[in-house]
Amino acid sequence: MSTNSDSTATTTAGHESDVVLPANLHARPAGQLARAAAEFASTVQLEYAGRTVNPAGVLAVMGLGATAGSTVTVRADGPDAEQAVAALAGILATAE
Amino acid sequence: MNAPVGIVLVSHSAELASGLRLLVEQIGSEDVPVATAGGTDDGRIGTSYDLVLNAIKDADRGGGVVVLPDLGSSVLTARTVLEDHPRPDVTLVDAPFVEGAVAAVVTAASGGDLKTVVDAAKEARNVHKL
Repeated sequence: MSTNSDSTATTTAGHESDVVLPANLHARPAGQLARAAAEFASTVQLEYAGRTVNPAGVLAVMGLGATAGSTVTVRADGPDAEQAVAALAGILATAE
Repeated sequence: MNAPVGIVLVSHSAELASGLRLLVEQIGSEDVPVATAGGTDDGRIGTSYDLVLNAIKDADRGGGVVVLPDLGSSVLTARTVLEDHPRPDVTLVDAPFVEGAVAAVVTAASGGDLKTVVDAAKEARNVHKL
């Protein structure tokens, strides 16, 4: 099940962004998130359903069990927090 | 970027090892050297000293090698190979096979060094699937 990115709502406030998932957060995007997070100096967190994980942990991200249509919050703290949030939110928003 | 850490998948089954390699390449990266040592020398279910030794050589790009066994004699064979060819930068890791391989390859693809990749694979045991 997938929809195109037009149907996703992304709002950015400072170094935090809520992304409505267009598809389930499965293995492949979880791997992309982990690799993307490693490129930034900032500390990055993903929050879903009250649970917070480090996106560098690919298994923890998959373990969130986040499904299409639900909201994941990307949060970053550090010198490149804005870019980190944009990069990870972009991966979440375009996951197929 | 430093040389990537290599990953060796040791399994009783060549198909299990090669299937897992395909999976981790999709989730992680095709840039991480992943070598398999699956089955016996003549293609049966079992493990092979020579296949493990060769897989370690194949996966070695200078950043160290993590060896992940599935269970049983995969552990014993890998341990024997490492005892005969001791190297500080080749580590046998106790981790769930699929989850450990995924965590190791993704961490290696992110530029993690040997210790970071070893820790990620070990930590896989503590991450809940549900």
